[in-house]
Amino acid sequence: MLVPIFTLKLNHKINPRMVTIGKYDGLLVFIHNPHTRAQRPVSHRLSQSAQDSDVSLLNINQAVSCLTAGKLGPNTTGDTLLVGSQTNLLAYDVHDNADVFYKDVADGANAIVLGQLGDISSPLAIIGGNCALQGFDYMGNDKFWTVTGDNVRSLVLSDFTGDGKNELLVGSEDFDIRVFKEDELVSEMSENETVTALCHMHDCRFGYALANGTVGVYDRNARYWRIKSKNHAMSIHAFDLNSDGVVELITGWSNGKIDARSDRTGEVIFKDNLSSSVAGVVEGDYRLDGQKQLICASVEGEVRGYLPASKELKGNLMDSSAEQDLVRELSNRKQNLLLELRNYEENSKACSVQGVSESSGGVGVIPANTQLQTALSVRASTEAQKAHVELSISTPNETIIRAVLIFAEGIFEGESHVVHPSAQNLSGCVRVPIVPPKDIPVDLHIKAFIGGRTSTQFHVFEITRHLPRFSMYDISSDSDSAEPPSGRVTFSISERPQRVVMWLNQNFLLPKGVDSPDVTFTSLRGGGHLSISMASSGQITLRTDDVDLAGDLVQSLASFLGIEELSSEADFPEYFEELRTTLTEVDEFHSVHQKLTAAMADHSNYIKNMLVQAEDARLMGHTTTMKKRYRELYDLNRDLINEYKIRSNNHNALLACLKSVNLAIQRAGRLRVGKPKNQVIAACRDAIKSNNINSLFRIMRAGTASS
Amino acid sequence: MELNLNRVDYIQVGVTSQKTMRLLPAQGRKTTQKVAIADHDGILTCFGIKKGEAVPVFKTLPGQKIIRMDLGGAVGSPQEKIFVCSGSQVRGFTKKGKQFLTFEANLTENINAMHVSGADLFVCASYIYNHYCDCKDQNYYLSGDKINDITCVSSENLTRLSPVLACQDRVLRVLQGSELAYDIEVPGPPSVLELYNKTRGDELLYGTTDGKIGLVQIGEHSASSKWEIDNDKKKGGILCIDTYDIIGDGVNDVLVGRDDGTLEVYGFDSSNEPTLRFDHVLSESVTSIQGGCVGKESYDEVLAATYTGWVTGLTTEPQKAEAGPGDEVRMSKETQSKVEALRAELEQLQVKVLQGREQYQQTSQSSTAVSAVPTFSINDKFTLCQDDASYCLTLEVQTAIDNLLLQSDVPIDLLDVDKNSAVVSFSECDSEQPNGNFLLATYRCQANTTRLELKVRSIEGQYGTLQAYVTPRLQPKTCQVRQYQIKPLSLHQRTHSIDQDRPMNRLSLVGQFSFAEIHSWVVFCLPEVPEKTPAGESITFYFHNTFLGTQLEANYCKGEGHFRSDNISTISILSDVLSKEATKRKINLNISYDINDDSVSHTLRMIHPKLEFQLVLARKVQLIDALKELQIHEGNSDFLIPEYRNILDESASLLEEYKKQPAHLERLYGMITDLFIDKFKFKGQNVKTKVSSLLEILDNYDLNSLLDFFCEA
Repeated sequence: MLVPIFTLKLNHKINPRMVTIGKYDGLLVFIHNPHTRAQRPVSHRLSQSAQDSDVSLLNINQAVSCLTAGKLGPNTTGDTLLVGSQTNLLAYDVHDNADVFYKDVADGANAIVLGQLGDISSPLAIIGGNCALQGFDYMGNDKFWTVTGDNVRSLVLSDFTGDGKNELLVGSEDFDIRVFKEDELVSEMSENETVTALCHMHDCRFGYALANGTVGVYDRNARYWRIKSKNHAMSIHAFDLNSDGVVELITGWSNGKIDARSDRTGEVIFKDNLSSSVAGVVEGDYRLDGQKQLICASVEGEVRGYLPASKELKGNLMDSSAEQDLVRELSNRKQNLLLELRNYEENSKACSVQGVSESSGGVGVIPANTQLQTALSVRASTEAQKAHVELSISTPNETIIRAVLIFAEGIFEGESHVVHPSAQNLSGCVRVPIVPPKDIPVDLHIKAFIGGRTSTQFHVFEITRHLPRFSMYDISSDSDSAEPPSGRVTFSISERPQRVVMWLNQNFLLPKGVDSPDVTFTSLRGGGHLSISMASSGQITLRTDDVDLAGDLVQSLASFLGIEELSSEADFPEYFEELRTTLTEVDEFHSVHQKLTAAMADHSNYIKNMLVQAEDARLMGHTTTMKKRYRELYDLNRDLINEYKIRSNNHNALLACLKSVNLAIQRAGRLRVGKPKNQVIAACRDAIKSNNINSLFRIMRAGTASS
Repeated sequence: MELNLNRVDYIQVGVTSQKTMRLLPAQGRKTTQKVAIADHDGILTCFGIKKGEAVPVFKTLPGQKIIRMDLGGAVGSPQEKIFVCSGSQVRGFTKKGKQFLTFEANLTENINAMHVSGADLFVCASYIYNHYCDCKDQNYYLSGDKINDITCVSSENLTRLSPVLACQDRVLRVLQGSELAYDIEVPGPPSVLELYNKTRGDELLYGTTDGKIGLVQIGEHSASSKWEIDNDKKKGGILCIDTYDIIGDGVNDVLVGRDDGTLEVYGFDSSNEPTLRFDHVLSESVTSIQGGCVGKESYDEVLAATYTGWVTGLTTEPQKAEAGPGDEVRMSKETQSKVEALRAELEQLQVKVLQGREQYQQTSQSSTAVSAVPTFSINDKFTLCQDDASYCLTLEVQTAIDNLLLQSDVPIDLLDVDKNSAVVSFSECDSEQPNGNFLLATYRCQANTTRLELKVRSIEGQYGTLQAYVTPRLQPKTCQVRQYQIKPLSLHQRTHSIDQDRPMNRLSLVGQFSFAEIHSWVVFCLPEVPEKTPAGESITFYFHNTFLGTQLEANYCKGEGHFRSDNISTISILSDVLSKEATKRKINLNISYDINDDSVSHTLRMIHPKLEFQLVLARKVQLIDALKELQIHEGNSDFLIPEYRNILDESASLLEEYKKQPAHLERLYGMITDLFIDKFKFKGQNVKTKVSSLLEILDNYDLNSLLDFFCEA
């Protein structure tokens, strides 16, 4: 049984995920953050008892959105504290009590990580904002920039490829984990919820946590294990708690639970409970005795530290005796097998007694040859129902389907969808409309309850069906009827058309299958059209107005055919027009922002004057003047608040625009694969920096800057 | 005095019912006792423990499921004969396993409670009590509500053995011959009775399904209550009680097993008040409990049997030293051999199961064969929780649950229970016809979950059925559905009496209906009413609303029914449902009302303290964060006015209180709105348009303005 080596109570709240640890001038500093302050309980070198720690506060005056500490500059004595907010990044030297640099970051900083990335020599502070990633060195120079699919929620540096250099792993709100080797996207893994935390385990392994309570471990891009809880994982960290030489995944949960799971199996090897939600889990030598401790902090300010288990415990960290558990588990298994055996025995008895003729209502006897038939088909919209993919489940005989449960990730609001017809409408056939919100391949785990009309017990049939990625597209028979979409992507591949046909059949829901790669689809979501055609030269043209869809198709086709590099030409007139407007809006918002800032400065000067006057009046005893001044001050204050609201609205609009610009670059990238993709992204970034809008569009169309 | 007990698992049998495990008296010089346990497979197992291993003494053949067990024997000799009841049959076994008695009670219903004393046998089926002496019929009694348990009290003060019945309608009935001597009101539906002093005594312990325990002294003509333990921590209902001096202070301690798996030991302090000395939580309901010496000589222990048939001891024997290098070496030889034996057994079973599976697969090829999987047993309970006026549904299955589907055709709220680790997911549902689902939720359980607890909040006036489909992790996969009625007056609970001074509204029904018919309507409307039509000409039931504290009196007989309540909404719901039921059976009802206008303001005044408390609480909770911020900013809270300082000091308890009652305010608002609409419904006015102004008043709540609004509108 592992017990905490120290427990202390800070009388301050700690914001979730805002815990970090750094070393300053020989002292160890442990940093949390409530609202706008960072506070640092400092344990002194000689004090053995952690109770002696004192807390100092650091006022940031802004809502802090991310926090880290570490060695940034080459010549600093201690670690640098990095504080990110929605508008800027502050690097602060705690020892010297001085700012190292202060940078405005328009895209905000949702997540921050500090360390070496790829071949870049100096350590970088990499922040993830709205669709953008930015890296700064100790001088505050912008050394790294790239875009990603959606708002970044988590970052970690890890040697993903195993080449001895760190890659950047990015978890974002579009449920994807992307891996960047410097600015090249090397891998992408789709999850089913926002990725809230990532941590490096060892070698190529990393842990992740999702907003729906899932935690798990990946080995490169294959998922090793995962578990789901009804609580949320607040913080994850890798730490070798049982001293077996391999780190475990430590998870801090929203209900205050901390558990350590084996990185191989996900089995819990240790758990403990804090009284309130965990705010963060970090490791460091808090007691300065040369040993690393695991430190957990709760939102109410409770802090606990754990030392790795000593060798004697032999990895047995739980208090209940292992043998009892083993016996119990074996007995349980025995009981289960006995029950199953009883099921078969009773069943064969029932068979011999009853034959097929009678079915006694309650038990739910069904013919033994009952098999469940399932079919997936695309249904265009009718007046009564929106367009959907229909899953029809039916039984071949007089048995009825009492209810159908479908467990699938990412396509329902929860993790399951239930169809439960009322008692009058029971039948042997159930049709389930499914509307996948995104183009993702999904496994549908279907559980159908089959029995008689009056049964109280049902047989459960479990079937898994695969829903292809592009299931929400209905093949249209006559391609000429509708006007072809104006947007298109063209690229060449050196593959036989049959391979493309194979891809089509696997990734679309086609009732009969197709035999030529020239097809037209209607989207069930927006009703737009999508046509795919392939010339004999191997040139493929995708026509659609949906840039995202085009990107998905290119990526899916490229990975199916194993293409590593693919450049393409694209034109999406409508989308480009939209983007052009957005870019002009950005300029407008910028100028409004400047105006408002100037006005605010004026007002604050006024206030200073007014306050001095009012205080003068008070000291002089001129009550009426004082009252008047204060009333004016009050009005001014109100104006300021109003102005602030305008400013924040303006700022939010600006952020939204910037996000869509970043997204546009990402989309343009997704139309290409491999090197051409990175070139497009880099070129787009340059174009934006130099404010050359025309060249931006040229790059997006042609894939290169020079045309 | 601190009590330290260590858990030891002995053996697993089939699913067990309440009170089906007993310790046989120690024999001769040996001090360890044998254990007798009976399960749902109909097997009676008797075993002793040798070197930590269960050694069977005898085991009967499987048969009908055994519901109760008791020990008996001639008066004055050791009580070591084992009596079990299954169906309507009672069988007796000697301690060696020889059957010496088979007695058919000839009851139409199955026996569900039994007591043996000397040559006297007392059995109870759901409403019927029967007393046999030497297997000859002696006495008979028909109870007004279901009988849950029976025991007999005998003492110097009493002339003869007096049987006591624990009845569902919250009374203990003391009988004399075939007649009711008197009854004792208890705070909840009693589920178990046990004598405090086993050999002789008039002190009787009872446990209730809502988790309360009490001690009453039974006299000739009346009883007196000695003490009562409330269920503040909302633990499970009591399933079994025993007394044993486990602490070793010379006073018998009370051992309690609950249906949420909690096992408790209550000792007595110097003032003779019971205090909790020890508790332990098992993962499934504790069906039987007894103190004694089983595992090792001279070490006392508490032996418990659980629903899935585990016999577990909590022994005073200290556990072997935990520390010491090497995990494998530390395992004692006994356990090692135990584990090996188990593993070997498992392998054999695995082979058999594989064969079974293959055969089962083969039948699916044939067109004549059927698949009929036997039912698995579910232990379920759906009870109204008085404290927060919500229903608690507990489901327990003998093997791990895979998933649970909840479906309801009435609007209800599903609340999260902290104890649950299952992942819940709500599915979109189409409340419109044809499917009419208002709630579809799935619970995907973690491995080894055999017990699930859910909370459901209903709205009075909306009635229907809640269905639970339970799928265990057992091949071939099957699921079972359980139905629970949400009654129109779902938040009402039976009480023993009501306050007659309150202003009351009356609803009277006159028509051509029989006593049985109106009783069935009342059963349909109200919870905790026995399904059987009561004996006699007429009957009166009292209820109180667990949420608002209003009351209801139902008095009816053939052709006539009177319902009185101080809450006009209750009357309105009753009249709606009753007339609908009567119309269904084509019975003409003559309905008359006697509406007392004072009752509305009376009800509002009753709601007032609750509403005000909630409003103040909500306001305080809202301030907590801001005040804390100020406190941190300024370094201390001295500058705040005392009121705010108080909020800061009490912040933890305030937050806890607030968390405990989610949506309480909304529910109160809903009930006030109903009250408003119902008041004017009886006047023949439709005031739905004015509801928005009512809500406005509620937002700026003041009792007087609310009362005025109710009067004026």
